Amino acid sequence: MLMYISRRLLLMIPTLVGITLLVFMMIAASPGGIGAGLMVSGGQQMQSSSAVAVQRAKLEDRYGLNEPMLVQYFRWLKRVSPIRFGDRDQVSPAGDLVTRPRPIPEPSVWKWVAERLAEPEPELASRTRAEFVAMDADAKIEAFKKLQRSYVEARAGFTTDEAVLADAVKRYVESIGRTDLIDSNFKPRLKRIERLTPDTSAKEYAEVEKHAKAAVRSRVLAQEARARLIGAMDAGPYEEAGFGISGLVHIAWPDLGVAFSSNQPVLTLITRHLPTTILLNLIAFPIIYLIAIPSGMLAAARKGSIWDVGMGSLFIGLYSVPVVLAGVLALGFLATPDYLNAFPTAGLHDKGAADWTYLPRNGGKGYLVDLIWHIILPVACAVYGGFAILSKQTRAAMLENYSADYVRTAKAKGVSSKDVMFVHVLRNSLLPLITMFVTVFPAMLAGSVVIERIFSVQGMGWLMIEAINLRDREMILANTTIVACVNLLALLLADILYACADPRITYK
Amino acid sequence: MQAPLPERVTGVQLMQGIGVRPAVGFWTDAWRTIVKRHPAVIAMCWIGIVAFFAVFSPLIANGHPIWLKSVGGAGRSYSPLWENLSSVDLVLLVWGLVTVPFVVLGPTIGRGRRVWMMIGALVVAIAVLAISGVFQGRLNSAAQDQGRAAASAAVRGLEPAANASKPFARRDGAGYIVGFGVAAVVFAGMMLVPLGKVRRRVIVVGLAACIGALAVGQRWDRPLEIYNYVQREVSGEIEATYTLVPWSPLQRDSALDRRPPLTKYGPATGVAVDSAPYERRYILGTDAFGQDVLSQLLQSCRLAISIGLVSTGVALVIGVLLGALMGYFGGWVDLLLYRVVEIFMAVPVLFLLIVAVAVLPEELRNTYVIMGIIGMFTWTGMARFTRAEFMKLRNQDFVQAAQATGLPLRSILFRHMLPNGIAPVLVDTSFAIAAAISVEATLSFLGLGPVDSASWGRLLSAAISSEGEFKWWLAVFPGLAIFLTVLSYNLIGEAMRDAIDPKLKKARV
Repeated sequence: MLMYISRRLLLMIPTLVGITLLVFMMIAASPGGIGAGLMVSGGQQMQSSSAVAVQRAKLEDRYGLNEPMLVQYFRWLKRVSPIRFGDRDQVSPAGDLVTRPRPIPEPSVWKWVAERLAEPEPELASRTRAEFVAMDADAKIEAFKKLQRSYVEARAGFTTDEAVLADAVKRYVESIGRTDLIDSNFKPRLKRIERLTPDTSAKEYAEVEKHAKAAVRSRVLAQEARARLIGAMDAGPYEEAGFGISGLVHIAWPDLGVAFSSNQPVLTLITRHLPTTILLNLIAFPIIYLIAIPSGMLAAARKGSIWDVGMGSLFIGLYSVPVVLAGVLALGFLATPDYLNAFPTAGLHDKGAADWTYLPRNGGKGYLVDLIWHIILPVACAVYGGFAILSKQTRAAMLENYSADYVRTAKAKGVSSKDVMFVHVLRNSLLPLITMFVTVFPAMLAGSVVIERIFSVQGMGWLMIEAINLRDREMILANTTIVACVNLLALLLADILYACADPRITYK
Repeated sequence: MQAPLPERVTGVQLMQGIGVRPAVGFWTDAWRTIVKRHPAVIAMCWIGIVAFFAVFSPLIANGHPIWLKSVGGAGRSYSPLWENLSSVDLVLLVWGLVTVPFVVLGPTIGRGRRVWMMIGALVVAIAVLAISGVFQGRLNSAAQDQGRAAASAAVRGLEPAANASKPFARRDGAGYIVGFGVAAVVFAGMMLVPLGKVRRRVIVVGLAACIGALAVGQRWDRPLEIYNYVQREVSGEIEATYTLVPWSPLQRDSALDRRPPLTKYGPATGVAVDSAPYERRYILGTDAFGQDVLSQLLQSCRLAISIGLVSTGVALVIGVLLGALMGYFGGWVDLLLYRVVEIFMAVPVLFLLIVAVAVLPEELRNTYVIMGIIGMFTWTGMARFTRAEFMKLRNQDFVQAAQATGLPLRSILFRHMLPNGIAPVLVDTSFAIAAAISVEATLSFLGLGPVDSASWGRLLSAAISSEGEFKWWLAVFPGLAIFLTVLSYNLIGEAMRDAIDPKLKKARV
């Protein structure tokens, strides 16, 4: 059994990789591309405010947004995997992850203005490290934070200069008439342009030369800041994350990243919204089983009667109502002020419910009753769809088992028909229901997207829709991974439960 | 027609020949079993109604009157409906009218013949349009069309549409006579030539060519505009006769948004209504933009039928292909492809669909792309069924005989194994169509549906406004349409399952 479980868990990994790759490619294929969630509106050349440039530089450094798609995907995979290779990241006391700064790309047309790309002196990193080792802990942290800020600003400065240079190059290219070197997004094809010899007499060339020199200079500054930062990091101002051997392999929490749009760590957002969805689904599950199984039993016991036919028809009718329709009708007729107004329209709690007592007291409603009152409609919408499949399955299984040999033996032995039904037949009929878990669970996760939207409940489904609307790729990927993980684990759990319940089944 | 059967037939009676029924094939027997169940028959009737509206809705719910007469003889009388029908609508109309006699004559013509005659009629309709369109396009010059466009626009009271300089084919008689003549000859040829397999291939090729001509012919369609016939009518300028519903789904009126059913046109727009010769009502109310709900309901039938059929068709093709490969080969092919199936099963379909549609650029969110996307994400169930069936069939004698004879792979898979293994997939098809319609309604509700078509889900999304007001007509009528359609497909699927799937015979009511 353990071998089976571990094999299944190992097989989950390629499936997860496949899912996240699929979703990543879908986001990459969208008009804004990978960086569409940034605060800068897709790909404008001139940064209007320096704060925006700094933010963009920080994200570029953390996520490598200027790299090709597949490389970015593998970086994400490396971050999310709990088993890491190489140096350990450090964690500040506030919980932020501090990663090694990324290399700074070369400025575009530097070959036109310089023989050799200027680099900072090589001992800068080790000198900074020596300085840092000499400081005490608090001063180290202060100085490190200052170095971080200056690095980000220097990198932002370089990016801005790069953008200005690219603009100047584009104008130069247009002026010499080589419009084939501008691609369909009106950006210059820098790789091809670099290989040309510059036409020093063209009137735009002076601008290009000026901006190229500025870009080279700002790159040197950025490189220096980076070297200092690396040196400071090596002196270890913060604790290292995870356990293991630094430099080889270690285990750490997956780094799900920072949501681009709201600038909060994704893990925080998820832990804030996941309990709502779990609450909804946890309440819904037992209700589905508690209603479907007895009705299936009743239908099997009175096969062909009005109970059987009526309940079957009712459940098929319920199954045919899409969740959107049920939600809108329930909300409209039962919750809006013009109609029945028996339920609240939105959210899971009234305003100020956090201050109430848990149980009703002194005429007040109490937190618990308020929660129940708010959650009845969403749970009702999540629940009705699962009845049809489960009750039909129970009925079919019970009918099949009822004509089996062991039932005939039990009746011949004199077991009461109630015992035959409940003790013998039911236990064997419940087995297929465990595999039904497999179909019901993902359907509920998906349905909760719509329910959370209609009833303004802020759970994972709502989070997913928000992330998709804002093209926030970290959020979307993290959500997809978690949902896929939960689904696959539920499948595995269903298989294990089936093996436990049915002694005839063994997994080698 | 057989003699009525006695209630219970004994073996002796069977030997005497009483109660003996002629043997019929598996599918005929399945069809007869399905038709005996009342819910399935009622469900098929409802689908028939939806299909009827899908074909004829542009005729019934069009903003253009079928006949327009200007009061006082200032302009000409003409039929705006006829002039503004798009190619697809016209083809469906001609086809529907030509097919009706065949359906009525039904029992006297064999079933195989009837199907080919329907296909032939479709080819005729498309050929009529294509030939006349090409013919007209050559005859008319752009200047003539400009003049006509300006004249009719004056009657309508609008400026010509922005791209009225594009030459479009006016629907005059001459082109249609020529087109019909040619098509009648082709049709007669197809029907009378007694070459079995060749005729079938000729018809299929002709169909494909004509659908291509249809796609080209759409360039001659008039661009859609917003019209003000009712306003002119109410103010007494023109007299108009409409087919049934005087509004088109595009006709917006922001002064009349979210009106309850049976609202009269007029009071909110400041036009004096009491003196008008006719009164035009919004029979089922209006939605958030002032568009008529009934015409949107009718036009969405086309979207519902096509989404169901096309996306399930795409899913069927992908699923059966992959399932056949997995089941037949087994081994590492199975291992690899089943990972792909697991990938699509692990994330709920709705999530993937929402991500996929949300990342599409705006101009690609039309019906065809969304149908394809829904099909591309819902094939896993069919793949698993096909895989299970093919694994069972792989060891059968006839498969091994086919392999030994050296038949090509596609022949073994699709001519020998597939007809034997397709039963569970067919049952799943009906449920898959129901699920596709449900999913499309959900996507439209979330704002991610096709933008170039009216949709039931989009009407639903306007039912509860942001202030919390509930307009019941926007939820009940589209909701009823969605519910009845999905229910019908589910009932048909249940009936098919009981008729086809032998394992469930014991559990049948």
